[in-house]
Amino acid sequence: MNSQTNLKIALILITVIAVVSIGLKIKPILKNYDNFNPEKVYKVNYNYFFKSKDKSSTVVKTFIPTSNYRQRISSEKIKNDSTLLFAKKMADNRNVRGVWGTDSRKTYHTVNYEFIFEGKEITYTIPQQFNLVSDKYNKYLKPTSNIQSDHIQISELATRLGQNTQNDKEVIKNIFDHVAAIPSAPIITLTDALTAIEQNRASCNGKSRLFVAICRNLGYPARIKGGIIVENADKRTSHVWAEVLINQTWIPFDTLNNHYAHLPANYLEIYEGDEFLITHTPGIQFDYTYEINEVNHISFLKMNSNEIHKLSSISLWGIVESGILPKNALNLLLLLPLGGLLVAFLRNVVGVKTFGVFLPVLIAFSLLHTGYISGVLLFILLILLVGLISYPFDRIGLLYTPKLVISLTVMVGLMITATMIGIKYNITWLTTLTFFPTIILTIAAERFSRATVEDGYKMAIDKLFQTLIATTICFGVLSLSWLPSVLIIFPECILLIIASAMLLGRYIGIRWVEFYRFKPLFN
Amino acid sequence: MFSRILDMKSRHTSKVIGLNERNIKLIYPNNAKKHYPLADDKVLTKEVLHQYHIPCAETYAVIEYNSRIKKAWESCKHHTAMAIKPANGCGGGGIKIIKKDQQGNWISSGKKISEREIFQHMAATIMGFFSLGSHDRVLIEECIEPHPFFHKIYPQGVPDFRIITLDKVPLMGMLRMPTDRSDGKANLHQNGVGIGVDMQKGTLTQVYDGKNYYDHHPDSKFVVEEVPIPYWKEILEISIATAKAFPLNYLGVDIVIDKNKGPQIMEINVRPGLGIQLVNKQGLKETIENKIK
Repeated sequence: MNSQTNLKIALILITVIAVVSIGLKIKPILKNYDNFNPEKVYKVNYNYFFKSKDKSSTVVKTFIPTSNYRQRISSEKIKNDSTLLFAKKMADNRNVRGVWGTDSRKTYHTVNYEFIFEGKEITYTIPQQFNLVSDKYNKYLKPTSNIQSDHIQISELATRLGQNTQNDKEVIKNIFDHVAAIPSAPIITLTDALTAIEQNRASCNGKSRLFVAICRNLGYPARIKGGIIVENADKRTSHVWAEVLINQTWIPFDTLNNHYAHLPANYLEIYEGDEFLITHTPGIQFDYTYEINEVNHISFLKMNSNEIHKLSSISLWGIVESGILPKNALNLLLLLPLGGLLVAFLRNVVGVKTFGVFLPVLIAFSLLHTGYISGVLLFILLILLVGLISYPFDRIGLLYTPKLVISLTVMVGLMITATMIGIKYNITWLTTLTFFPTIILTIAAERFSRATVEDGYKMAIDKLFQTLIATTICFGVLSLSWLPSVLIIFPECILLIIASAMLLGRYIGIRWVEFYRFKPLFN
Repeated sequence: MFSRILDMKSRHTSKVIGLNERNIKLIYPNNAKKHYPLADDKVLTKEVLHQYHIPCAETYAVIEYNSRIKKAWESCKHHTAMAIKPANGCGGGGIKIIKKDQQGNWISSGKKISEREIFQHMAATIMGFFSLGSHDRVLIEECIEPHPFFHKIYPQGVPDFRIITLDKVPLMGMLRMPTDRSDGKANLHQNGVGIGVDMQKGTLTQVYDGKNYYDHHPDSKFVVEEVPIPYWKEILEISIATAKAFPLNYLGVDIVIDKNKGPQIMEINVRPGLGIQLVNKQGLKETIENKIK
């Protein structure tokens, strides 16, 4: 009885501490709840350097991004010397331009335009048939000097691609596949649609123009879209892709990076139309860089780093900011106890039998790396292989540990071979077996082959199947992207996990599978 | 659906003990972890049994090192039959029964086996082939001949009784029998059948094969209902004696009846399975309550 009371006191104490500590932070967090939930946050800096002309005034213009349903632009900061005049102007096609002008002569100028970009990935589904387009979109069907949609060569190609198709969706898919298959080349100069066909190699601008030209030729309104692929680096290259108007929505297609009706979270959209990102008075000295830095963020909070810091001393934001622990590693650490609790629940309350407690959690983590379906397939394949490999050695009568070494060595060999084949033939899912998943899958295979010795093949396969079920449930929970953020802000959850585990540890109820097992006794 | 489960729970689970309750209420408070080896290691178990003169198969030899194999063999090869077991084997792996035929050759599983092969088997056992890599000992003991009573029910394999004891009191028992599909094994999850036992009367009750109940053995069709168990008094006596000899208060005691020597302890188990409730159509909790009253 004494231990019972101690347990109760400990439980209540832990829960109260955790709940009070969480309660102190909950109000500011609810107040700052952000339903935009960006996946990527970057600080982007346009840096321009130029020398003004000696005889006339000098102008530098660039497009400035605006917020839309999948990107948010905020904290705009403009830095330039006092001789420069800055103005924001609406340009054609709803684009916004930043214009810096000066009357000073032969002086060096630096322009710095900074903003925070928050982006979300978006994927569209394309309908089979498209609605008719109204006349106001006519300009997106017309040829231009670089998008020669009425040229005979484009017409021929377009007709060919439109043949033997059942619906609009197939036509678009054909055009996309054709243009995407053109070898890409890092051509910096302007490539028009025709040249892209003739050279049969092109960079983003050539491919996008060709894609737009073919679409326009077949009567689908299409346009060029310009922006930057933001990543943690200083870069000078901007990017263009194409958009097709399908049932009143502009759907993105990037034929260079193979994004079909899909825009990754780190695509910063800046302007629409076949334009240049930067234009300036001709004949001046001009240089530029885009300085881009990823910003740590909590996806559901409208707070910047300092504000999060001020929230409470008990949060793990300091670790995130210091950058000493990689973000993935921190997430793994934080989610491991939660996954463990989940597995404990599945084992003790549901009655699922698994290989080890943390193994399903770790496998679920590997699946986050490899992708669920290909990961599970690889997992089953590898484990069956280990079973097959150990079979002949069982017959020879090798001792357990050396036998294990052989099967694991063979497995590592197989993984390396698979990776090499994947690289050679460009099969992405074969190359997903990096260091971490390899180790986890190896351990899982070891546990499986151990189970075949201890309980026989039938039970081992049964247990493997149940482990996969537990893994799937863990995967479902661990892939919730907001979960690590919650744990970073509320590390007290770890205490709650201990409290729940204590409760679970004293649970004496019948496991769910035992209802089935002892069914005859219940009737 | 959920309300049905809850309903079922409140009405019936009070009788049945699940794995969680078995661990927390029966195993943890009654069996200290430090005493587990007494049950898990067959050599240690037999040392205790011999010490208290509880009937069990006679130990011919215990071999701990490869260098002792030949010497130990010399000392027991005059016996006409023996069982060679790993002390810490799991799932019955590594057990070899060898018998001499009329020409003096050793026979195992119906095939001739040379002394060299027997030595190899012992060496493999010592090196941990049957106990997952850890060093092990070989136990050579008397070969038990099942009592003819069992042949009536099913003629092959080695059937045994499992008696659950709590605080030295036998609670529940069952007879485990091999079947045509179990390859001589009597274990329930290796396709053997369990036969319930009326502890008061010392008779068999019904047969359970993991799915259905019968009043007869599924292969031999022998009707077991109300059949009295020979040596039942002795079986209860040696289970109690065993329970008293070990510092383990919740036990599964496995017993066979030898043709000549009567009931013998085979081994003891600190984590006895819960299937015995199904075989006897009774929840363990109910049994415990009845015993206390």
